[in-house]
Amino acid sequence: MVLSKLRELAGGSKDESSGDPFVDALRNALSADRVKYDGAHRSLHSHDASVFDGGNSGPVVYPETTAEVQAVVCLANEHQRNVVPRGAGTGLAGGAIPLGVPVVVAVTKMNAILEVDEANSIAWVEPGVINLDLTRHLAPLGYHFAPDPSSQQVCTVGGNVANNSGGPHCLAYGVTNAHVMAMEIVLPSGDAVMLGGLDAEPQGFDLRGVFVGSEGTLGIVTKIAVRITKNRPAVRTLLMAFDDVRDAANTVSDVIADGIVPAAMEVMDKAITAAVENYVGAGYPTDAAAVLLAEVDGLDSGVDIDADRIAEIGRANNATDVRLAGSDEERMLLWKGRKTAFGAVAQIAPDYYLHDTVVPRSALADVLDQIYAISDKYELLIMNVFHAGDGNLHPLIVFDGRDEGVLDRVHAAGGEIITASLDAGGVLSGEHGIGVEKQKYMDRMFTDDDLDHQNRLRQAFDPGCRTNPGKVIPSGHSCADIQSLRSVPKEVWG
Amino acid sequence: MSATLTVDDPTLLGFAEEVGETGPVAIVGGQTRWDIGGESAGEPRLLRAPEGIVDYKPEEMTVQVRAGTTVADLHVALAEKGQRTALPDRGGTVGGALAVGENDIRALGRGRVRESLLQVRYVSAEGRIVSSGGPTVKNVSGFDLPRLMVGSLGTLGCIAEVILRTNPIPAVSRWLHADRVDAGTTFDGLLHPSAVLTDGSGTWVQLEGHGADVDQQASILQTLGSFTEVDGPPVLPEHRWSLSPSEAGAFPASDGDLAFVAAIGLGLVFADAPQPLRRLDPAVTLINERMKQNFDPTGRLNPGRDAGRK
Amino acid sequence: MTLDGSEAAVDLKIDADDLNKCVQCGLCLPHCPTFRVTGDETMSPRGRIKLMREVQDNDAPISSDVIDAFSTCVQCRGCEPACPSGVPYGHMMESARETLADAGEMTPTWQRLAMKPLASPALLNAGTRALSVAQKLKVVPERLGLSHEIPLTQPKLEATGSDVYLFTGCVMDTMQRSVHDAGLQVLTKMGFGVMPTGDAAPCCGALQAHAGLAGETRSLAGRMMQNLEPDVPIIVDSAGCGAAMKDYGHLLGTDEAVAFSERVFDMQEFLALHVDKLPEAEPLDLRVAVQDPCHLRHVQRVHEATRTVLRPFVRELVELDDEGLCCGAGGAYSIFEPELAGQIRDRKVASIDRATPDVVASANPGCSMHLGSVGVPTKHPIELIFEAIS
Repeated sequence: MVLSKLRELAGGSKDESSGDPFVDALRNALSADRVKYDGAHRSLHSHDASVFDGGNSGPVVYPETTAEVQAVVCLANEHQRNVVPRGAGTGLAGGAIPLGVPVVVAVTKMNAILEVDEANSIAWVEPGVINLDLTRHLAPLGYHFAPDPSSQQVCTVGGNVANNSGGPHCLAYGVTNAHVMAMEIVLPSGDAVMLGGLDAEPQGFDLRGVFVGSEGTLGIVTKIAVRITKNRPAVRTLLMAFDDVRDAANTVSDVIADGIVPAAMEVMDKAITAAVENYVGAGYPTDAAAVLLAEVDGLDSGVDIDADRIAEIGRANNATDVRLAGSDEERMLLWKGRKTAFGAVAQIAPDYYLHDTVVPRSALADVLDQIYAISDKYELLIMNVFHAGDGNLHPLIVFDGRDEGVLDRVHAAGGEIITASLDAGGVLSGEHGIGVEKQKYMDRMFTDDDLDHQNRLRQAFDPGCRTNPGKVIPSGHSCADIQSLRSVPKEVWG
Repeated sequence: MSATLTVDDPTLLGFAEEVGETGPVAIVGGQTRWDIGGESAGEPRLLRAPEGIVDYKPEEMTVQVRAGTTVADLHVALAEKGQRTALPDRGGTVGGALAVGENDIRALGRGRVRESLLQVRYVSAEGRIVSSGGPTVKNVSGFDLPRLMVGSLGTLGCIAEVILRTNPIPAVSRWLHADRVDAGTTFDGLLHPSAVLTDGSGTWVQLEGHGADVDQQASILQTLGSFTEVDGPPVLPEHRWSLSPSEAGAFPASDGDLAFVAAIGLGLVFADAPQPLRRLDPAVTLINERMKQNFDPTGRLNPGRDAGRK
Repeated sequence: MTLDGSEAAVDLKIDADDLNKCVQCGLCLPHCPTFRVTGDETMSPRGRIKLMREVQDNDAPISSDVIDAFSTCVQCRGCEPACPSGVPYGHMMESARETLADAGEMTPTWQRLAMKPLASPALLNAGTRALSVAQKLKVVPERLGLSHEIPLTQPKLEATGSDVYLFTGCVMDTMQRSVHDAGLQVLTKMGFGVMPTGDAAPCCGALQAHAGLAGETRSLAGRMMQNLEPDVPIIVDSAGCGAAMKDYGHLLGTDEAVAFSERVFDMQEFLALHVDKLPEAEPLDLRVAVQDPCHLRHVQRVHEATRTVLRPFVRELVELDDEGLCCGAGGAYSIFEPELAGQIRDRKVASIDRATPDVVASANPGCSMHLGSVGVPTKHPIELIFEAIS
């Protein structure tokens, strides 16, 4: 009792009156402790895992129910403020950074797994549920949630919906869109509606389908019916080493051409393999120019047939070493290495810029050659770790931001990587999304008419442009004037 | 902007010109599902989408094909390289199958239609060619207009050309049938059957994959009932019902002598009576209406049809 | 408000390279107990590191929210093994807290006073006796986490030789001497002559270091290094103390301290090194869940040893399904931040419930008391081993 009294005195009293009627209204609607308006919160919510600076966060709110999300959206409309939804903040394209001074709606407290409905092969979850937590929850029942982005131990299912997240195992299982059956969303109007359905072919336009991957611009998802996938009884994981990245890329292309769709096919080049091995000690060969991790799953006989065939194709493409993971532990360790690859690069330099483009599988080897040439040209270390099976490149530019002028070189190299990918018949992003990162490249992939129609879709949901404005569609085609969002009225540390 | 972005294929440009900028139009495919989504109204000009396979890349598992091509022709071409698509072959066209958006009853094995469309090129209500999506199997560049087009009954744009995801045709495919076994238990006992169908008394199962795997799954079936090899699925009754998997498993909900075939795990049911009209949330209807208004302000695309009344 | 009331920048004295190592990927978030229970970025390692940067590099003021963010950290260091970039978060937080405590911004007087007795055996004994009486009178607040009845008098630990030291410490020696006794007996049965450190090493200074009072820790460390015979292995049965003593090398930065730290062993770590000397015994008929104290798992990283040495002596050894997430005890944390500590403990208890054990093996007195106060039956692994071989 004495202690708590002392603590109260020591902690001092905080000024609860914000001086901003919008903040006061939010505090009335939620509760004071779930509406933050201090410098620390606003500063931290002005960033995600990307290198991009946005504007500054306005108030940060932590709703716990759909009704609270609705209240926040309605108040934002009333006070003419914009809304930015946020999950774990692990996005790499700046999709969750606030432009202007919007209210940031963090859904981290809406993290309940509401129901596992085996009869319909779905689970109802709240958006703040962590991807891997869901899979762990399903494990005793013999299921998992198939999308497994590298950030799966931290990213939220709501974030997966917003970004249509992929992951290594999306090669066989499909990306998030294929695993969301229905969802409740709070529309920019404040109405809560159900999109999609558990039935085979819901009527109306596939609004569920367009919401997934819309990067938080169409509303805020508050409940999700995700498909749960039966665990496969047999898994084989092959680790192949190559003296030339081209050989690894050709192996991938040949496997698919052979009619095999592995659960996953991942490639890491020499530099990244060394960093990963240093962190996990999984037994990755550090002297190889590239390693290919290929996984097949299913029934016992089939996986052996496929694994043998993949090994054969690898050897035909000059694999110097072909190894089958001997145990589940070894397999898990290999995957741990692969999935923490991006973070592990900080051993090499303090900053990185992770790119994300997709090219046709058959173009992988050529585009990789170009990326290494770009690396030489700009005197930047570029490492490659990628979802080879679906042609999804992740060139990783490693640098030290304290070096004079380095950022200009990083961005220029990035631009050339994107150009090389598009020229090879590829696309701008495979899983990170457009966010603010690739808006300026959208007109290299789409015509004015194309972008105009994307904007029409957006405006059907959000005619007032209040939800995560200034993202995805470039300025000039978008409903919001991005430049005006970029001007920040108030010092965040004020 | 790179010049190559602008579509210069004369066939597509010709189609765009045909669609034009004014007057009601509707695209005709095989007319296998011509009667869904309400009555056609306003006497639209009936047009056909262009035909032909533009580019097939088996090693990419993609095919670029014009919307007027029949699904049957497409599948014949793909089969030469051991591949297929998720589109149901009912005698119709690729564009028709996408505009209707209905799945094959074996969708568990071959995938859902809405997940097979990678890139779409359509002619807008203004007579412009619009592209969305991309040629690769994975892509999150921009808003997902391909999803919007699937099942939209041609009311938002006239599908001209698409890139579809293809899948390998499994080495072995077998249909098995048994009487008096519980279809739900059968479904639960298998790893990933391509189809499990029931008419209330008999159960049909399609197994696909490597021969040894199919044999292993078939031996599981033998522990559940006396399954025998059959040529294919049963004849499907006329009316299509869209239900949740659990509802389909318990079909029919009320007693009656409805003849039906239910696809377990998928939620599709075919019965000899139509499904009662499903109702959309008015707030969802509002978005649908705004979508239609934004894409087709004058209401000239397939007038009378409403994707919400499927 | 800045530290000295002026607008000058505050140097938290965190190594700039360390601070730069964080790439803000966020992989640490789910491994942080305070982020887990709050979902609040300011209560995550990534958030706290960002705030350290804002203060140290960008002249951000030391607001009460920054202080809150730092003082709510349990310092479990669960984020460190989760970090692929190897950010030395624990040391960074200790530097930040030391700077802020020195400036009077953190660790208020009442907390400093509360730690005074730790380094003084006489004061601690008097206090403990008072607590014991209070406990019998049922006037001890529940949140102090005193599950075990504190004995009024303690059996004295007798030396059995001079092969190894058994570090007896402060709080643990007064409250859980039975654990020391079990350790002493087991080691003796294994053929090691054991010297209890007693008043020669009254306190490791861990709690002080966590509170930003590293100066006190340095002086305690110096005293201990002076008082103990050289070259004799020092065995520690409290994970928090062991972690602190293994860190003297970093804290003092002298060769002597580095050498000292190298002869510090956790009890189970030492036993595992000499597993062949452990007597054989009939396993206890118990289903035992292993709860890894953070400073054993995330800091010393020798938690596997607990399993190695315990497995032969119990019927069944089971793992918890929370990947070693902190229980919320955190040394004095459960007293200073009772609400958060309780929420964090709720998660741990739920995980324990799912594992359905008869007893939970925990190698840290803070964890045992924190879990024990809500009725979780806990035993130190060495107590279970002793029980089996007796």
